[in-house]
Amino acid sequence: MSEHIKIENVSMRFGKGANQIDAVSSVSLHINSGEFVTLIGPSGCGKSTLLSMVAGFQMPTEGTVKMDDKEIHGPGADRGVVFQQYSLFPWLTVRKNVEFGLKMRGTSSSERETAARTLLGLAGLLAFENHYPDQLSGGMKQRVGIVRALATSPQVLLMDEPFGALDAQTRVVMQQILTNMWQKFQISVMFITHDIEEAIFLSDRVYVMTARPGCIKAEIPIHLPRPRSDETLVTPEFLRLKLQIRQLIGEESLKAMGGELKDGGMQGFSIDVGSKGVTELL
Amino acid sequence: MKTLRSEEETLTGSMRSSCPVLPMQQPSHKLESLSKRDNPDNNLVQPVARTGVPDSPFVLIIKGLNASKLLKLLPRVLFAIVSLSLLIGTWYLGTKFSIDWYIRFDNIPTPGDVLSELNKLGRQDIFYTDMMISLRRIVFGFGIATVLGIVLGILIGRFRLVRQLLFPALEVLRPIPAIAWVPMSIMLWPTSESSILFITFIGSFFPILLNTIDGVESVDPVLVRAARSLGASEFNVLRLVILNGAMPQIFTGLAVGMGVAWVSLIAAEMISGQFGIGYFTWESYSLVEYPDIVIGMGLIGVLGLLCSGVIRLVGNLMMPWVKLRTGGAH
Repeated sequence: MSEHIKIENVSMRFGKGANQIDAVSSVSLHINSGEFVTLIGPSGCGKSTLLSMVAGFQMPTEGTVKMDDKEIHGPGADRGVVFQQYSLFPWLTVRKNVEFGLKMRGTSSSERETAARTLLGLAGLLAFENHYPDQLSGGMKQRVGIVRALATSPQVLLMDEPFGALDAQTRVVMQQILTNMWQKFQISVMFITHDIEEAIFLSDRVYVMTARPGCIKAEIPIHLPRPRSDETLVTPEFLRLKLQIRQLIGEESLKAMGGELKDGGMQGFSIDVGSKGVTELL
Repeated sequence: MKTLRSEEETLTGSMRSSCPVLPMQQPSHKLESLSKRDNPDNNLVQPVARTGVPDSPFVLIIKGLNASKLLKLLPRVLFAIVSLSLLIGTWYLGTKFSIDWYIRFDNIPTPGDVLSELNKLGRQDIFYTDMMISLRRIVFGFGIATVLGIVLGILIGRFRLVRQLLFPALEVLRPIPAIAWVPMSIMLWPTSESSILFITFIGSFFPILLNTIDGVESVDPVLVRAARSLGASEFNVLRLVILNGAMPQIFTGLAVGMGVAWVSLIAAEMISGQFGIGYFTWESYSLVEYPDIVIGMGLIGVLGLLCSGVIRLVGNLMMPWVKLRTGGAH
């Protein structure tokens, strides 16, 4: 497998002088062609910054971001982006939203329509092609968002906490739909989340990031067989991975929240419940 | 001395005559709530329309208004009738008894005078000429302000360099009321027609410009990012994302601008004009044709209302999605 996306020694600093903030510090990672890779880490660790550098919205202060060995200089339709806030154009109908990228490319209107309707059909949204985004539920909006990003047949899909605003049930369905789409289109995916189960369930590989300044703390390959289902979520391997990542992130979250709690910091901490200690209750 | 005082009062009176135009300045959400109120009526008409039988509008209204609907409407209709009767009644009684309690009704025409004068005027061409000339001035003055206000507003809102270059100068000019431009305008422009157009333009330009800038700045940056990642050029971002995203506020600016355009036009016509409704109203005073003053005032109100109605209609047609935005989502 070739390295499709390659991030090399990338650092990102915002501000100047005393107000300078290191958002990302010498991160190196890669995404192979057709691979599903997730970045997970505590909030503010710079995972979205890394994604927006691959998207071309931001340039790294140091290091390089490359796709197919070519440095990325700006946004382009070869990288589809799905945002957490849906980002559909409210003045366009669902179908016109999906057609937007093709229109920018100069595709004829009949071809655009066929392509958009095919994709909407795959996402189960054909009945809503003439609705406006504000008439749709959150899950439907995000499906339109994914379909719109796929319409220009990009080689990479960049997803910045795409299901973060959805309720738990909708999330699970969306994860299945996304997996199906990914396998169908055989594209590389860079996915960002802070949900551990979501990361394991979807990915081939997970990068765990440290608190700010963000760097890679661990790289964890996920060897769970596909297709994955609800049963996957209770396999020993899944639970082992979940615990491992949970512990890695836990340390970082505490760091991010301020002072590091020393080893055994919780010992000697007692809550008096009817004159019984916590240990007795347990 | 007496005539001078009455002149002053008539002037302030006719300034106030432009007030019927002011309801147009309500913010857009209010406009939407008004149009939403129209919706139930549309729904009532639909089933009839589906049968394909071409009913006259009158029949549709009768069919649409069932008894309970009528009962709900009744208090509102009654209050409207009372409200209007009070206005016309005060006017009628004031003129009938020539009341002179600090404000004086002795020179004011009665409702009857105005009605018979309207009947007479309606058969004269000059009346319609004045009306068409005023409307034409609105179309051109407001039209130029719309194009320039939206184009400049988008450039200023989007590009910092343009903003730094143009905004300070515009900020200096902005607080000057359009009417204060009248003498300067007469000197600047070669004909009185072009100076009236300029006054109309300057009045509506700033509300349109400022609302457009505001609208551009309120466009969600994530939409711009989405467009860029779908391959949109900067020009297409401006044309397809910024313009559409700012559209609701642009229409707020257009509604306000239309109100100010009428205020400015009438003032300009009264001071420097030949022809036009403002000139007609002012000249009626000079010629002691007092009923014509009332007719001019009423006409200005009706035309202003019509113009703001057109803006609202175009806005609703261009932005069917805005209604959904304000609570139609399910």
